[in-house]
Amino acid sequence: MANVREIKDRMGSINDIMKITNAMYLISSSKLKKAKKSLEATVPYFDQLQSTIHHILKHTPEFEHVYFDSRSNKPEDKKTYGYIVVTGDKGLCGSYNHNVLKLAEQEMSKHKNTSLFIIGQVGRQYFSRRKVMIDGEFLYTAQNPTLYRARSIAESLTDLYLNEALDEIYVIFTKMITAAKMEPEVIRLLPMERERFKTAAGRTPHHDAVFSPSPEKVMDHLVPNYLKGLLYGVLIEAFSSEQNARMTAMDSATSSAKDMIKELNLLYNRARQAAITQEITEIVSGAKSQQNKKN
Amino acid sequence: MAKTFHLDIIASDKYFFSGECEELVFPGIDGLYGILPGHEPMISCLSSGELRFKIDGEWQNAAVSDGFLEIMPTFVKILADAVERPEDIDRKRAEAAKERAEEQLRQKLSIKQYYHTQAALNRAMNRLRITSKSAK
Repeated sequence: MANVREIKDRMGSINDIMKITNAMYLISSSKLKKAKKSLEATVPYFDQLQSTIHHILKHTPEFEHVYFDSRSNKPEDKKTYGYIVVTGDKGLCGSYNHNVLKLAEQEMSKHKNTSLFIIGQVGRQYFSRRKVMIDGEFLYTAQNPTLYRARSIAESLTDLYLNEALDEIYVIFTKMITAAKMEPEVIRLLPMERERFKTAAGRTPHHDAVFSPSPEKVMDHLVPNYLKGLLYGVLIEAFSSEQNARMTAMDSATSSAKDMIKELNLLYNRARQAAITQEITEIVSGAKSQQNKKN
Repeated sequence: MAKTFHLDIIASDKYFFSGECEELVFPGIDGLYGILPGHEPMISCLSSGELRFKIDGEWQNAAVSDGFLEIMPTFVKILADAVERPEDIDRKRAEAAKERAEEQLRQKLSIKQYYHTQAALNRAMNRLRITSKSAK
């Protein structure tokens, strides 16, 4: 049996770690509250954005525009696929980062030419360790998403798309389905697909709409706007998922620390008792031998 | 014919307004547009400027930045990056943003940066214009 001191030390260190995990739990739960608030505030915008675009596209069946060009004249092995991967800036959040990265690798293995744009420090380190080329100038943090950041991300990627440096752009992020369930997801940003919007909303169709000043001009404005809104939603969703994942991970760490302390406490008491028993036996036997000597 | 149409104004961070409206004036990319009930279906873009809408005979205004609208005979939906009432605008912040943008415009910039700064300047000037108007 381990000695009493060793067990005591161990319990002390577990207690210290538990304090840290508990503090992290509290921090991420308050951050989550904030993130959830902004998530709830954006959801109507996000939903309306999708359904309105869907609605608009339905009224314009024959429409040629650069943002809808699937570049079918380019052979498959010449096409470049861009992936935006949204990870956290830190670890200690269970399988949150791992799941996103796994999905990203799986998606990337499907195509020959890929290029990566990483949001978040963890993903950047992961891919640079594996010697995968990532865009070095694409530096954005996953913390506290803002519309400003979404705008600059959307703009730089739209530029790459229009220069034909990228032919298809996807975003990989974690979607919060319920508070307990999060799943990594892939969404195609460009070129836009009509099919995707067909299922996005169930509004009744009505008569054709006119575009003012002209369809091209409207699309030139509308699509970047849509992408920016979409990316903003994605960033907010990923941020709240990260906080949620960290909260659950830290909660389970704290509770398993409690379990360990409970077990060690038992061991400690047993060891202490054994030590006392031994001491008593020693004293008694010592006293007895002294008595025997006297007689 | 109906006297009003349903107006929804949705900003990226909040549901700004939802209700019946009699008349709407919005800044398009090629000038101001006025909308009355029963307008033909139209899709258009917003640029930053002043949005005005009439409810129960009273005009209300708000500062908007980039976005787009869907106009139908019975309803209008506005989706914009930001919508603010004049009383919610922080004048000091807008002034600081304006100065910052003007400062940057004096320096050499890439085309992209130039457009960014110009857009920022526009937004700041627009905010200032609307607050000074309502203060009168």
